[in-house]
Amino acid sequence: MRPDIQGFLVAERKRQAQELASTLGRLEIDRRQFLKGTAIAAGGLFIGVSLPMSSLAASSDKATEFNPNAFIHLQENGDLLIYCGRCEMGQGISTALPSVVADEMEADWSRVRVEQAEGDQDKYGSQATGGSASIRTMYEPMRQAGASAREMLVAAAAKVWNTSPQNCYAKQHYVYHNENNNKLSYGELVAIAANMPVPESPSLKNKEDFEYIGKSLPRHDVGMVVEGKRIYGADVKVPGMQYAAIVHCPVMGGTLKSVDKTEALKVSGVTAVVEVAPLKVPFGSLGGVAVVANNSWSAQQGVQKLKVEWDKGEHGSYDTDVYMKQLVENVQKPAEKIAERGDLQSAFDRAKHKVSATYTEGHLVHAPMEPNASVVSVHDNHCEVWASTQSPDDIQSVLSGFLGMDKKSIKVNVMICGGAFGRKFKCDYVQEAAAISKAVGTPIQLTWTREEDTKTGYYHSNSAQYIEASLDEEGNVSGWLHRIAFPSINTLFDPSIQFAPANAVSEIENHPFGIANLRSESGLAPAHTRIGWYRAVYAIFWGLGYGVFADELAEKAGVDTLTMLNRIYDANTNPEQEEQVRRSKAVLALAAEKSGFGKSLPEGEGLGIAVHYSFQSYVAMAVHVRMKGDDFEVVRVDTALDCGQVLNKDGAAAQQEGAVAMGISLSKYCEITFKEGAVVNGNFNDYPVMRINDMPDVHTHFIESDAAPTGLGEPGMAPFAPALINAIYQASGKRYRSLPIQPQRT
Amino acid sequence: MSKTITINNKSYDIDVPEDMPLLWFLRDRLEFTGTKFGCGKALCGACTVHVDGQATRSCVMPVGALAGRSITTIEGLSDNADHPLQKAWLEVGVPQCGYCQAGQIMNAASLLATNASPSEKEIETAMQGNICRCGTYQRIKQAINIAADELAKEV
Repeated sequence: MRPDIQGFLVAERKRQAQELASTLGRLEIDRRQFLKGTAIAAGGLFIGVSLPMSSLAASSDKATEFNPNAFIHLQENGDLLIYCGRCEMGQGISTALPSVVADEMEADWSRVRVEQAEGDQDKYGSQATGGSASIRTMYEPMRQAGASAREMLVAAAAKVWNTSPQNCYAKQHYVYHNENNNKLSYGELVAIAANMPVPESPSLKNKEDFEYIGKSLPRHDVGMVVEGKRIYGADVKVPGMQYAAIVHCPVMGGTLKSVDKTEALKVSGVTAVVEVAPLKVPFGSLGGVAVVANNSWSAQQGVQKLKVEWDKGEHGSYDTDVYMKQLVENVQKPAEKIAERGDLQSAFDRAKHKVSATYTEGHLVHAPMEPNASVVSVHDNHCEVWASTQSPDDIQSVLSGFLGMDKKSIKVNVMICGGAFGRKFKCDYVQEAAAISKAVGTPIQLTWTREEDTKTGYYHSNSAQYIEASLDEEGNVSGWLHRIAFPSINTLFDPSIQFAPANAVSEIENHPFGIANLRSESGLAPAHTRIGWYRAVYAIFWGLGYGVFADELAEKAGVDTLTMLNRIYDANTNPEQEEQVRRSKAVLALAAEKSGFGKSLPEGEGLGIAVHYSFQSYVAMAVHVRMKGDDFEVVRVDTALDCGQVLNKDGAAAQQEGAVAMGISLSKYCEITFKEGAVVNGNFNDYPVMRINDMPDVHTHFIESDAAPTGLGEPGMAPFAPALINAIYQASGKRYRSLPIQPQRT
Repeated sequence: MSKTITINNKSYDIDVPEDMPLLWFLRDRLEFTGTKFGCGKALCGACTVHVDGQATRSCVMPVGALAGRSITTIEGLSDNADHPLQKAWLEVGVPQCGYCQAGQIMNAASLLATNASPSEKEIETAMQGNICRCGTYQRIKQAINIAADELAKEV
């Protein structure tokens, strides 16, 4: 069947898997390990996978529907159902991808209903949603899916009119005859189109003919949201369901010493107390004690009444203040060499100036507004899940191992996440609900409390980095030594890892600065807690280091930051980075122009700028601050981005606004602190996040581009903090090198 | 005779322990799930409903203390999703994940009921208790202004 498209999709999917694995730092995972069954761990798994568009004409003998592929269900009345295979968490993917299908199909968007596909990667391809990869990997397949359907509908009309398809064209749910005013609606063509051969290589629309792509189509689900009708994982109700709450072992690797259930069982509505054993696989439960009740409140009250003692285990003395001091020491002395090029020593020997600085950042927790939640119903030979999740594929893998069931026996209903930011990629909370359901024999809705969400998460790596660079006589950067130490995500899969490995530190040798004489080193940084992907992942601290250090270099060279950045890019002669240099400079120029970078500002105000390339998108931000004593206010942010062809401008702008908001949170307040192995923070009182009074005006500017589209969920995060820090320096002369700027210690 | 509570103009028996917060009576007993659980400590505003028209954090309000009171949830804010705030929310395209938005809208509705044309500062002060982690604040402000203008026209 259509080997060209199938071949394309296989190649595309492999590329996606490799990219994502690389992004997520998983390439070094031992494939024999637990994750071998998951979609993103290895490209080889896609062999034999039936591809999205290959479930061709699944019901071609059914005259009431036209299903040219897994994503498209056109009904006889003309209503069009489009499935979204990737997970929705607020980034708008369930509008963006279906709008691409609809555009190529010439569908009338008012006739489209979008439905979230259940977990089935054979049918929909990988559904593991992370690494800002959905648009990058699914844009072309979605266009092909829509274009195939359009051509089949056109062919069907041509057959009816006994003419050539060249004499017909599709427009907004109708096929028209070129030579007369005849038209047939899509609904009228369903039965005939279903019997048309699938085109070998459907022709795609020209950019100027796009109806939805590149515009600002409203989200398909906002109507449900404003009525309170959108159903999240925490909202699911199924017959016979009971509610559960849980308290976890506060330390990774710790165990339950004892639990007294007596008082918990006396709480009105409580029906059971269940010990949940730790599951020692990635994304398995930390281990805890759950209380089951006929409502969530009683379950939470029950947990409060448990008397639990833990054996904290080997990480029971983890203290982030002590650890951070150690990280800083580890980067201020020689560490493990990762990469080297040119002749750094002679560049340093000939330097006119040397500049060095150390930057640090603490742990972060995702804190989505919806804490971890799912419903799981375990039966003898099958299991059904309703989960707020970023990765149904991983739920199937983990539950398959835990329950001893085939993955196909685990049905996953993918619910929209009430925020996720990387947290809901890991399905420990789903596996716990499965454990409780199995123990009590009813469907279980497990909703974590905010405190458990804060105290037993998968944390963004804390980090320290030391950069030392030389400036030559002309003020060019001639050498760059970059040492970094952070517990890497790789430790989730191999806890014996002591240093962030080469693939997690490759940013330094691959950075578009392309410094000719360079050395990168990785410092000792074992993990004492679960480390996980957090929106933008390592790009947060790379952005911090590169963005602030460029400002410090500019000062030493006696030029402004924009001049310094352009000077560095212009010195990069690596032909393989020509595009990265060009596009980085273009977004910088746009942000500078729109913000009026360099203009004179009143006393106590500053305008900082930074640029970062991550997840294959380019974002520059100019941040305008006004000092208020030691505190500051972000007045305005101009963000310029190049993500290739934009799918949805309003959605893209929303992602930038979100990145600024989350950027302010993590720059100003957010930090998870550990003492004696456990997280100190618990709720929004001691893990404060940004509120409405801190929100600046965000202005998003696009580079018009025909380049292949790339994602935007994460790329806006990296440039914010350095641009802010540079602005504060300009406004006040105070140079911050550690995040958060205003640590909130309890 | 058991105590009753009015929710979206309909009377219900309070047939749960009286110390159960209104949030869980709504979500788990009556299955009105539009009102969300975010923090359990009145820190985030996701659970905001109206008690006799006044924005209230339902996660810390014992249902037993509300006997005889009238509660409005997002499901009862308007008959046809046509409250000026709901319309403005759609016009601006406020929600991202949407989880906090019912609380945001209910809080904003309470604000506009007492102050029909709030200044930016007044909006910020009134809305400070409602967290949005997706960062839709800029659009929330914009939508409240549009709704306020709409209400001004209606008068």
